[in-house]
Amino acid sequence: MLEFGNEIKCELLGKFIIENEYDIVTVRQTIRQFAKDAGMGIVDQTRITTAVSELFRNMYNYAGGGEVLIERGEVENHNALIVTCIDKGPGIENLELAMSDGFTSGMGMGYGLPGAKRLVDRFEILSKVNEGTSVRIMKWK
Amino acid sequence: MSESINITNIKDRIDRIEDILASVAAGDMEARIQTETEDDFSGIEAAIDLLINDLTEELRQREKVQKELESKLEKIQEQQKTILQQQEDLLELSSPVSKVWDNILILPVIGTLDSQRTQVMMENLLQKIVETGCTISILDITGVPTVDTQVANHLLKTVTAARLLGAECIISGISPAIAQTIVHLGIDLSTIRTKATLQDAMIFAMKQNKRDDEIRALKNIVIPNEHAD
Repeated sequence: MLEFGNEIKCELLGKFIIENEYDIVTVRQTIRQFAKDAGMGIVDQTRITTAVSELFRNMYNYAGGGEVLIERGEVENHNALIVTCIDKGPGIENLELAMSDGFTSGMGMGYGLPGAKRLVDRFEILSKVNEGTSVRIMKWK
Repeated sequence: MSESINITNIKDRIDRIEDILASVAAGDMEARIQTETEDDFSGIEAAIDLLINDLTEELRQREKVQKELESKLEKIQEQQKTILQQQEDLLELSSPVSKVWDNILILPVIGTLDSQRTQVMMENLLQKIVETGCTISILDITGVPTVDTQVANHLLKTVTAARLLGAECIISGISPAIAQTIVHLGIDLSTIRTKATLQDAMIFAMKQNKRDDEIRALKNIVIPNEHAD
């Protein structure tokens, strides 16, 4: 399992498992609620919800599911909502290619990862072939 | 100063205490010593009775709490069942396609578009287009809270398939927040005709209808003239 360093002080808000399409919807709704609670407007709520939706779908489609951590932490003097997606899937061979617009290894449009990156304030990705992929995104007001 | 201890029938009374304690231990919470004798030992007997009273009360309380918990658990399990049932119902909710005007179909999409639902939705729409011969269909996504690349992809595919059948699709009900999100995602929906509200889409569709009628009317005038020549 690939994990990010713990340099940010965060408070855990929830831990979820993505196993099916229904989980994608419920966890996505939970995150929308957390965003709302954090005082984000409708545009920011929609952005983070859509970004996590892309990540969850990737986990579900390519890795058969994974784990989601939702945290709140202080990042660059912002009160950030932090979502970490961890899967033990096949991993991404060429991260640079995966992060470029229009590239897809499956049936998608190829805008999932780069699109999610544009929707949030900070985007981090770790991946190792045959080990898995971890993505951490942060969004603040 | 010497103290004398005044106890009568000590042997029988100790036996009785043992009997009572044994019955209580066996579950008879009604058993009490209830001695009638008044002497130095009767205090101990009364104390034992009091202890049994307390114990009975405690047990009663515990049973009550346990029953409450059980009934609560039952309720929760029932609710869980209802929730599961509703989830299934929601997933099975197919999207209805209705003809609202001459030549105009409306497909209101509410909730989440997963791959299964989109498939049903697309099939319904295409089927209805063929059945009714309508050439304009409005897909209203006011009730879709999240449009990610997969949903956008499904919408694009549906519109393309409808176009292959000769029907123009209009997507309405894209909220400002979703519009911004789609732009950031980088999805190009410029090949699709979109309107902000269902009303706008309806007005557009009716104007389109009128134009088609005019063209048809023109044809009707032109064709007899051709024959006359």
